[in-house]
Amino acid sequence: MLALEAVTKRFGGLTAVRELTLRVEARDLLGIIGPNGAGKTTLFNVIAGTYRPEGGRVVFDGHDVTGRPPHAICRLGLTRTFQLVKPFGNLSVLDNVMIGALTPIRSVAEARREAERVVESCGLADRAGMPARSLPIGLRKRLEVARALATRPRLLLLDEVMAGLNPTELAAMVELVRRLHAEGLTVIVIEHIMAAVMRLAQRIAVLHHGEKIAEGPPAQIARDPKVVDAYLGEEFALE
Amino acid sequence: MRRHAAALVVFGAAALAPLAVRDAYFLDSLVLILMWGALSAAWNVAGGYAGQVSLGHSSFFGLGAYAAALLGTRWGISPWIGLVVGAALATGAGLIIGYLSNRLRGPYFALATIAFSQVLLIVASRWRGFTKGSEGIPVPFRPGFWSMGFTEKAAWLYLTLGVALAVYLVQVYLEASRMGYQLAGVREDEDAAEALGIASRRLKVTAVAISAALTAICGTFWAQYVGFVDPFYVFSVDLSVLFALNAIIGGVGSAMGPFYGSILITSLDTFLRAKLSGVAAGLIGIHLIIYGCVLIVVVRFLPQGLAVGIGQLVARKVRVAGA
Amino acid sequence: MAALPQLLVSTILLGGIYALIAVGLTLIFGIMRVVNFAHGEFLMLGMYLAFWSFTLWKLDPYLVLFVSIPLFFSVGLVTYFLVMRGVIGASHNVQIFTTVGLSTALQNLALVLWTADYRIVRPWYGSVVVHVGQAAFNLAQIVAFAAAMGFTLGLFAFMKLTHAGRVMRATAQDREAATLMGVDTDRVYRLAWSIGIACVGVAGVLMSPLYSTYPTAGLQFVLLAYVVVVLGGLGDMAGALLGSVIVAAVEVVGAYVFGTAWKEVFYFVLFILVLVFRPAGLFGQRGAETLGV
Repeated sequence: MLALEAVTKRFGGLTAVRELTLRVEARDLLGIIGPNGAGKTTLFNVIAGTYRPEGGRVVFDGHDVTGRPPHAICRLGLTRTFQLVKPFGNLSVLDNVMIGALTPIRSVAEARREAERVVESCGLADRAGMPARSLPIGLRKRLEVARALATRPRLLLLDEVMAGLNPTELAAMVELVRRLHAEGLTVIVIEHIMAAVMRLAQRIAVLHHGEKIAEGPPAQIARDPKVVDAYLGEEFALE
Repeated sequence: MRRHAAALVVFGAAALAPLAVRDAYFLDSLVLILMWGALSAAWNVAGGYAGQVSLGHSSFFGLGAYAAALLGTRWGISPWIGLVVGAALATGAGLIIGYLSNRLRGPYFALATIAFSQVLLIVASRWRGFTKGSEGIPVPFRPGFWSMGFTEKAAWLYLTLGVALAVYLVQVYLEASRMGYQLAGVREDEDAAEALGIASRRLKVTAVAISAALTAICGTFWAQYVGFVDPFYVFSVDLSVLFALNAIIGGVGSAMGPFYGSILITSLDTFLRAKLSGVAAGLIGIHLIIYGCVLIVVVRFLPQGLAVGIGQLVARKVRVAGA
Repeated sequence: MAALPQLLVSTILLGGIYALIAVGLTLIFGIMRVVNFAHGEFLMLGMYLAFWSFTLWKLDPYLVLFVSIPLFFSVGLVTYFLVMRGVIGASHNVQIFTTVGLSTALQNLALVLWTADYRIVRPWYGSVVVHVGQAAFNLAQIVAFAAAMGFTLGLFAFMKLTHAGRVMRATAQDREAATLMGVDTDRVYRLAWSIGIACVGVAGVLMSPLYSTYPTAGLQFVLLAYVVVVLGGLGDMAGALLGSVIVAAVEVVGAYVFGTAWKEVFYFVLFILVLVFRPAGLFGQRGAETLGV
């Protein structure tokens, strides 16, 4: 479904992503991990169209989407969430999700129904009418996911949705992602919290200094000396 | 229909006014209130709904005024055609300004729009050959529908009421339509909106273009009503500020807000102009000093405008008193 | 080519005055990150101060100059406390309309107090023309230039050499870091604003013999000042100086080639072009504009 061919992204003298090649098939649940500054979010930005890569191609569903604007890529079926969540603060939770729903759906009434459905399924129904800025961080993250879901993506990019959540919220989010995947959604998850990714993902790619240093099932990654090396100095638990 | 209760009351009252009141001065004030309301509401499409705060909307107003006046005086073309031409020109200018809005944020966009309006002002006031330069263009009164020569104030009242209603409805559409919701998203967080599939740049330009066309249409009507096009007035920064002032004080978040602002400000303006003549004429402008200060206060403490803000303050006091 | 010396001299003289206006604005913008739409109104007030002092008490504008510094500094302090202080961290729109409101209030205050009549200050040296080689210039222009340069250089020295100046520059570069270092940012802003207002008020006094005074006189100069500031790179004082010369050159040459009637068009168009294509000016970071500096 998604193919990254030797994607390179530079910022001035810094190469944030170097010749990265990756494939994601339909119904995959891929986790991307790596120490801070490895280039994970930059990669998402390149895939989603926020950045234009200096080299390589991004192919989604057979279309070359390299360098196309974010809104066009979203319309093709690839939606991303932001690491630092960006809710439409002054608008209600329902309106937030509705705006996502209005991308595939033209009718406002139908979009509202769809939004209500998504809000319900993401467990935000009791806050539907409240302004998004009144939500605590855990629910904001969930709103971010709900809103992205409303665009009816075939591939969802989740950027560190687990960060900042307490254990209960974390468990709920993991469950949500697992359920979405089970329902047929292809998901790529960037995460820094190992425990969550190891449990969720079928396959993990490890980034370090912009390069893919390892790829494979979680158990294999956990034993890979290159990966352990990259994380040296960083506290983590491979659970 | 309850949503539109306020509009029904206000526009309904305006519609019925000529039946109850014959005083020309009063009807004239009503025409002006509706006109400025419509202009501020047109500004609101770009400034309020699309979040593009322009201080150069007089560009569009002037284009509308000049288009009709020039076509009429030079080639005898009906101002109704001039209206369309003016709106088309303004839409073009709106596309340029829309492009600017995608490159510049906040105050820099505002500054660029001011510069744009001043370029038009200088061109209009210096191009003697075409626009009669700084003298301006007197718009001769020729009775008849096609030349917009209406002798009855009531005719003008219904005309401006029609325009005001149209702009009100455009705003209402923007509030409840797909485009409106998407604009709300762009307004709140453009990057997030883009990531959700909204073509934010195109949307902003569209909103600005609509706002421009509506403003120009009002400009045409105004020029025909007042009978004179003065470049230093129609392209002035003061005018641009006034459009925004009305909308902000009245409330940018609602379709009626700009009209409330106009009711408050325009009526005071016409009242002062009429009452203060002779020596006291020097005091004209005193209300603008106050409005400048009110703007400062409103924008900081009552961001939803006076109407809503005062309503909320009152509600809070009532709640506290009742508790 | 015979006109070259004249054009050069005119550019420099004009540039000097624009520099004083722009430098004050750069200070305010660079340190407070606020676009002050009312900047021109303080210029206008300076012009009126000179006019009334001259008309009522026969005081020469250059005497008034020394009074105007503390006077406008105080005006700055007052407007800071009443108006600006509350909007430093506020959203763009709040900032825009706060200074726009201030501008409207001040313009109409002038209108109500002194009417819309054009006023002119005519001191004895107003019509004295000095010839050097092939260039001719007005004595008032020279004095205005000299005084403007004096003040601008004084301001530079203040910013570079004094502790207060260094503190202000630090705050301009990184507001948060400055706060963490214990800098009283409120005091910094207060100072930046008041000095900025003092500069433009003084510029107004200096310009009174050269331009007509009327309530909306500030508008064209404030736009011009913004052209300079944007060209020079939003917050860079040396850039503002260079920007002033460039804008003055555009104006002088434009007037020479196309006639004085059209000269203003040039810097407005220049302004829009700079904003669109080189938004961070000649020295600043590319793209600072769209990032929402």
